[in-house]
Amino acid sequence: MEIVKSGVREQLDVLRLRDQFPVLSREVHGKPLVYLDNAATAQRPLAVIEAMDRFYREYNANVHRGVHLLSVEASEAFEQSRKAVRRLLNARSEREIVFTRGTTEAINLVANSFLRPNLKAGDEILVSHMEHHSNIVPWQLLCEQTGAVLKVMPINRQGELLLDEVESLISERTRLIGIVHVSNALGTVNPVAELCRLAKRHDVPVLVDGAQATPHEKVDVQALGCDFYALSAHKMYGPTGIGALWGREELLEAMPPWQGGGEMISRVSFDGTTWNDLPHKFEAGTPNIAGSIGFGAAVKWLEEVGVTRIAEHEAKLLDYATKRMLEVEGLTIIGQAANKGPVISFTLDGVHPNDLGTIIDHHGVAIRTGHHCAMPVMQFFGVPATARVSFACYNLRAEIDHFLDALEKARTMLT
Amino acid sequence: MALDQLYQQTILEHNRKPRNYGHLTGATHAARGHDAMCGDDILMELIVEDGCIRQAAFSGDACAVTKATASMLTDWLPGRQASDIADWSNQFQALLKDHTLPDAPELADLNQLRPVSQFPARVRNALLPWTTTLRALNQPEGTNP
Ligand SMILES: Cc1ncc(COP(=O)(O)O)c(C=O)c1O
Repeated sequence: MEIVKSGVREQLDVLRLRDQFPVLSREVHGKPLVYLDNAATAQRPLAVIEAMDRFYREYNANVHRGVHLLSVEASEAFEQSRKAVRRLLNARSEREIVFTRGTTEAINLVANSFLRPNLKAGDEILVSHMEHHSNIVPWQLLCEQTGAVLKVMPINRQGELLLDEVESLISERTRLIGIVHVSNALGTVNPVAELCRLAKRHDVPVLVDGAQATPHEKVDVQALGCDFYALSAHKMYGPTGIGALWGREELLEAMPPWQGGGEMISRVSFDGTTWNDLPHKFEAGTPNIAGSIGFGAAVKWLEEVGVTRIAEHEAKLLDYATKRMLEVEGLTIIGQAANKGPVISFTLDGVHPNDLGTIIDHHGVAIRTGHHCAMPVMQFFGVPATARVSFACYNLRAEIDHFLDALEKARTMLT
Repeated sequence: MALDQLYQQTILEHNRKPRNYGHLTGATHAARGHDAMCGDDILMELIVEDGCIRQAAFSGDACAVTKATASMLTDWLPGRQASDIADWSNQFQALLKDHTLPDAPELADLNQLRPVSQFPARVRNALLPWTTTLRALNQPEGTNP
């Protein structure tokens, strides 16, 4: 649905796009906001804000339970969003799209409903060294409770997965591979399709943490060849507290529910209860209806703007920022993979990330500092914390210049 | 501007050249203070004799606020009763939370950290050396952190 004119894809009109994000016109500490913390959460365009507002103002009702008009409209909008997420991922069917609170809950769902029922002591789960805590801790909990073992797929100093070493880690006890599509801490884009091909040869299912991928690239779960894909709306211009798990239908079909309650059942009696159809089997209780509607609006908005055009714009920002930052004395970029998303983690000699974050905030620049919920990868690089800039469709080269000026001011202040 | 108050000369000096930075021979108490979220990781070491703190030192890697606090605190601790530190810590914490309170003269230089109160996200950094000291004191003598 990208706008293609006379065969040439139009470049992103960033200034016009910015007008759609109300928060971008605010000031912080008397300076114009320069928002470079998009990997933590992106900002929301009016299309998303207004879709959620319209739901509450015009047709707020519970879904799938009423015969009245408001409930019919709410259910329709809710299911339209599911269709939008199906399109986003090129899934085969809406039955494969389960709404969750986000990536974290999606991974926990797989841990508890897919792995737990059959996991035995000595079984193995493989994850990479660059995972977000949400793709580490659920497996650790599971391992603690079942005696299964969590093994780590190694990375190199550039922050790239050592794909060649993965095969030797796979055994007949390997029950799942978890891999982050795009690392939030390093920016690395992982070779997910290759990993999936390799896993398939050994009959090992693959779960992909797609939280950082969907805002920056066209994801096609069928082409990737994975088995589960987890995502969060708030990383892709949608609301917080909503996301989705995509799973291959045959796997989801065979999995037991993981939470019980309303909505997920077909018939309840004290003699026994039968489950609802997919995907409702995994959606117990009243869902985040407004959030789902906002999620759907974000998907449509991305389709209209064109994720490929966004990616081209962000790639230019990444190139420009990387080049300029490498010229900064004492600045080290952590994560220099050949294939990167618009994320730059770095350290600056003599300036602790915490102080840098505070000082440049006072120049209007919002960045993330700390361990980025990926402590094992920080340990790998031997840094307690980094500062991180991450770009979105609305960022400008001028904002990168402003950030670098602020960085020099911080250095001058502290050293 | 608030930022200049936080990163005022005294604090910057303590950050650049922290006092009592290093290790103590014969430390009786020690504890590690790790704030994973911020990336602060310090070790507080103390020599306590008959309930009185004789010497204090710290080491590790931390932000300016944590380092300046640890630097000032290790200057201030010698001569204090170990059993009083919890109360002092509470008083310091109160000063960081409520900017209408008058300075506590007995806390000496540590009062200079009060602008931290205007940076709620950074209060934890100024408290880390205090909580670490308290943990060191609460550990049986000679325990390795
Ligand atoms: C790579 C990655 N995985 C997982 C998550 C967790 O997402 P959420 O907090 O929305 O569940 C995040 C977000 O912080 C992330 O960046």
